[in-house]
Amino acid sequence: MPSLALAAVALFAFALLMLRTRSEEAEDRTTREGTSAVQRSSARGLPPAELALRIFSPTDRTFIRLTRSTQLQRLYEKERRDVALHWVRRISHEVRQIMRNHRLSSRQSADLNVVAETKLFYQYLQLRFLCVLLLVLIQIFGPHALVDVAAYTSALGQRIGQALPEVTRGRRVPSSGNVAA
Amino acid sequence: MSAHAYLVTKQNAYDDLQRRTLAGIPCDFARLIYLASTRDYNSGMYHHEGLAARFGPVQAREALQACHRDIFCRLVSLPLEGLVGELELYVRMSHEAPGGFIHAWQKLEPYRVAVPMETDVTMVQLFLSNIRLALEVLRFRQEQSQGSPPAASLLPLLDR
Repeated sequence: MPSLALAAVALFAFALLMLRTRSEEAEDRTTREGTSAVQRSSARGLPPAELALRIFSPTDRTFIRLTRSTQLQRLYEKERRDVALHWVRRISHEVRQIMRNHRLSSRQSADLNVVAETKLFYQYLQLRFLCVLLLVLIQIFGPHALVDVAAYTSALGQRIGQALPEVTRGRRVPSSGNVAA
Repeated sequence: MSAHAYLVTKQNAYDDLQRRTLAGIPCDFARLIYLASTRDYNSGMYHHEGLAARFGPVQAREALQACHRDIFCRLVSLPLEGLVGELELYVRMSHEAPGGFIHAWQKLEPYRVAVPMETDVTMVQLFLSNIRLALEVLRFRQEQSQGSPPAASLLPLLDR
């Protein structure tokens, strides 16, 4: 289950990377003159997907847990939650910005592709929804929300699975007893 | 100078800086602090006499800036455990008493000036947050080794 959650984070990060690439292309067009290629590449820093995986990586949490200090764990949760929330808010803001720019430029476009525009708008809505979902999850469950929710779901599923035969058995006994009586 | 020659000179300055100066510094964290110290606080410009004399002031400045950014990126990419190791080595290199060093760094936060200019904001947030955590881990370890309970002393930090 945790690996599924990590895969979900990776997919989300990939989607963001695609959108960021578009914004970077637009940015590049505006700053191309007077700036060397080496300067541009070093100014970017980590790729967005790598940064996202770094923020949400469970490795750091495991490292902190091994100290067995509740204070350190609390500090870690607080620090990482703040960074994670900052990251999601920023991505959400950037996506809104990209769409606003796109809307303004598409108003002047003579040959608007309705299918492509609808698809793009659908993707935008998906991303906005994911951002809101991530914000809520991170605020409630902490920075490793997806992994935690997945682990909780898995544990709950197991508990239900274990409880189900007992419930069924518990119902059958009196019922068969009634029949026997 | 043509654009190509300019880039070659800049690349040479970058390689020279890596080979001659930075290779002699034992860890990335110390390299970051060194490179940040070559930057003027007021102008944000980098200065290195030797490099400027060999490759020109502009090329030297850009090589220093590029190295600074690259090392910063490497440190942000590190897992927390790796960063703790880097910081631990840096504390040992400083020849200061670890307790006093950690206390001063937690109070003054001098590592903030080690961040390159015009860096991704989220990267900066992650870096600063990781440094705060790494310092706390070092303090915890130090208190553990001294046998004193770490719980009470950590509490005020959580209110920040």
